[in-house]
Amino acid sequence: MSGTFRKSFLVLALAVTWSPLAGAHMLNMTEVSFAVNEASDAMIVVRVDLGQSELITPEAYWAAVAASPSSEQQKLIEPVLKTVASGVEVFIDGEKRELALRKYEVTAISLEAIKNPFTPQMAQIQMAVGGPKPTEESSLEVRITDSLEVPWPCLVRVDSYSPLPLSRLLTSSTRSSGALGLNVSAESSSQGFMVTAVLRMQDWLPSITWLVVGAQHIIPMGLDHVVFILGLFFLSTKLTSLLLQVTAFTVAHSLTLGLTTLGFIAVPAYFVEPLIAASILYVAIDNLYSSHVAKWRLVVVMGFGLLHGLGFASALSDLALPEGSTLIPLLLFNLGVEIGQIAVLLSAYMVFGWFQNWPAYRKRVAEPASVTIAGIGLYWLIKRLAY
Amino acid sequence: MILIRRGAAIFLVAMGIFAVEVAMSFVPSGDLLFPASAAAPGEFPDQWIHGSKSAMDNSDPAVQVHRYNDHTYILRENKAINYEGAFMYVFFGNGVAMLIDQGSTSSPALFPLRRTVDELIAKWEAEFNQSATHLIVANSHLHGDHYAAWNQFVDRPNTTMVGLTHEELLHFWGFTRYPDERLEFDLGGRNLVVTGTPGHQSSEIAIYDEWTDLLYTGDMFYRGRLYLEDWDAWEASIKRLRQLADDYPVSHLINNHIEMTQTPSVDYPIGSTWQPDEPPMHMTLEMLDQAVKATEKIDQAGIYKYDDFLIYNEVPWAYTTDP
Repeated sequence: MSGTFRKSFLVLALAVTWSPLAGAHMLNMTEVSFAVNEASDAMIVVRVDLGQSELITPEAYWAAVAASPSSEQQKLIEPVLKTVASGVEVFIDGEKRELALRKYEVTAISLEAIKNPFTPQMAQIQMAVGGPKPTEESSLEVRITDSLEVPWPCLVRVDSYSPLPLSRLLTSSTRSSGALGLNVSAESSSQGFMVTAVLRMQDWLPSITWLVVGAQHIIPMGLDHVVFILGLFFLSTKLTSLLLQVTAFTVAHSLTLGLTTLGFIAVPAYFVEPLIAASILYVAIDNLYSSHVAKWRLVVVMGFGLLHGLGFASALSDLALPEGSTLIPLLLFNLGVEIGQIAVLLSAYMVFGWFQNWPAYRKRVAEPASVTIAGIGLYWLIKRLAY
Repeated sequence: MILIRRGAAIFLVAMGIFAVEVAMSFVPSGDLLFPASAAAPGEFPDQWIHGSKSAMDNSDPAVQVHRYNDHTYILRENKAINYEGAFMYVFFGNGVAMLIDQGSTSSPALFPLRRTVDELIAKWEAEFNQSATHLIVANSHLHGDHYAAWNQFVDRPNTTMVGLTHEELLHFWGFTRYPDERLEFDLGGRNLVVTGTPGHQSSEIAIYDEWTDLLYTGDMFYRGRLYLEDWDAWEASIKRLRQLADDYPVSHLINNHIEMTQTPSVDYPIGSTWQPDEPPMHMTLEMLDQAVKATEKIDQAGIYKYDDFLIYNEVPWAYTTDP
């Protein structure tokens, strides 16, 4: 936008003061906003197109807008403000509260604008809600009495103790908002204690979700990684060599996951995905022909770890990490992946650990399992290459 | 020998999984399918119901319900009830329907939108063997002529009210960096792409439907007076729409009002309740290109005329040429 435009716009903006610029249509609807929070007392703000409200004639409203000093204006407008104030009713826990006028703004750009229903000239009236301050447990009801006619509908906006505001619409035939809880997240605790607890925890520590997201990328979303880990499991009967392999795998995939997420490397998914399938096939076939964990297998597993890290990274990139602080979510996501992996290994151990010392374990369990894993790997490899 | 046996076993396992997957794909799931590659066709009426000379004597339905295709419906408020003649949309997915916008009239007696939508859902459920359809009541933007009948749905069971504040809207769609963000929304297997398009109003969104390739542009781009309260935001939004149309195939642009006549650059006056010479509601990508081009030229507040739309750039209502 050029400087001249800015200047000419400024002139216009000054002429209009705070009244909204052209929106489309039916902008003169009324708004009642209720606000209360830890820091401030309960307050009501009413925005109303007074000149179109039949509470005052456009001429009288224009006279009030133009009047000065402010004492003169007050004399002209105050009776109307009182009518509005008595027509808006606020109930806290069913009990009607007094509203005390705090301040008001009456503005308009011209008498013609006031008369034209398409050019809303809104007045703003701020009132304090009397009585004890409503708490998180309170309920609120906003009503517009039958005697008050405002340009309909009337939007009710409630800002209180819950993170999101709440909205209701009043119409000439439905003049009450109904009872609204001031802390909606507490109100919806009918979901059960656990859900509420989790939501609360997330409020405190948003990053914790990344841990869960990480774990979800193993169970249930990361079936290929699960199969790969099971492939590792069926070679080693010794826990130490298994742990060694899993650690090598983890270190490697953390590295590529980190580097990709931080933007240092980028490998397309159509390249990574078939290779991940191939790694499953390889590990399973290797199981069939090795009787123990060879040193070089560690190196191979590590290489595959680098590959799987790239796979996690493409999944993570779909999730849009929060801007600025990627490191903590990344670490937590990684930790979540580890938790998922360990859960898979523990489950496998609980099922097969009992008879790993059975002489026929290899022939009757490990080898058929490896053949199955190889089959799954082969299927994925062909499928992913075909796409 | 063992090599061949193992190889054969591995191959058999792979073939087995393949066979199961193929078999599963033949099992009738009862689910409706909305493939993104489909470009599902639909039809617009030759002419929309466009009011009458005498609003008093109007005998048209309060809400015109047009079936664009099996799972996409376009609703229009009778211009005799409210001159805005606002369009509303119902998109269906598996187990869920989304109503976008709720017209310009609150009274259920004058404008029975709830009843119309309930009947539409019941009919759709019967036709497509669906039940217990959840309704989402959403809005393109937060202007009164687009949510006047919102209240008719507030006590409806099995319904999500997105809400009428900026914060509720962003929360529902999942915006974290509004407006410059593209979100995917799964409407029961029907993928919608949503992006922020402020400028006409500061809480506006555009919705692209991958199944029909329709791009819904709300009030920020339609055949009429484009009132822009924030030029910079609108310029960015129109370019964002152009970018979206570059990245996805678009069949038609659809929106909320018709205010133009068939004569290029000539609009009906504000408040018209009879528009016999209305152009279609849907628009073309060429028109979007024209709007993008306009952003290079316009550098001042004022009224700018184009064949298919008029740009009211940061012009207060009081200064419009209309009565």
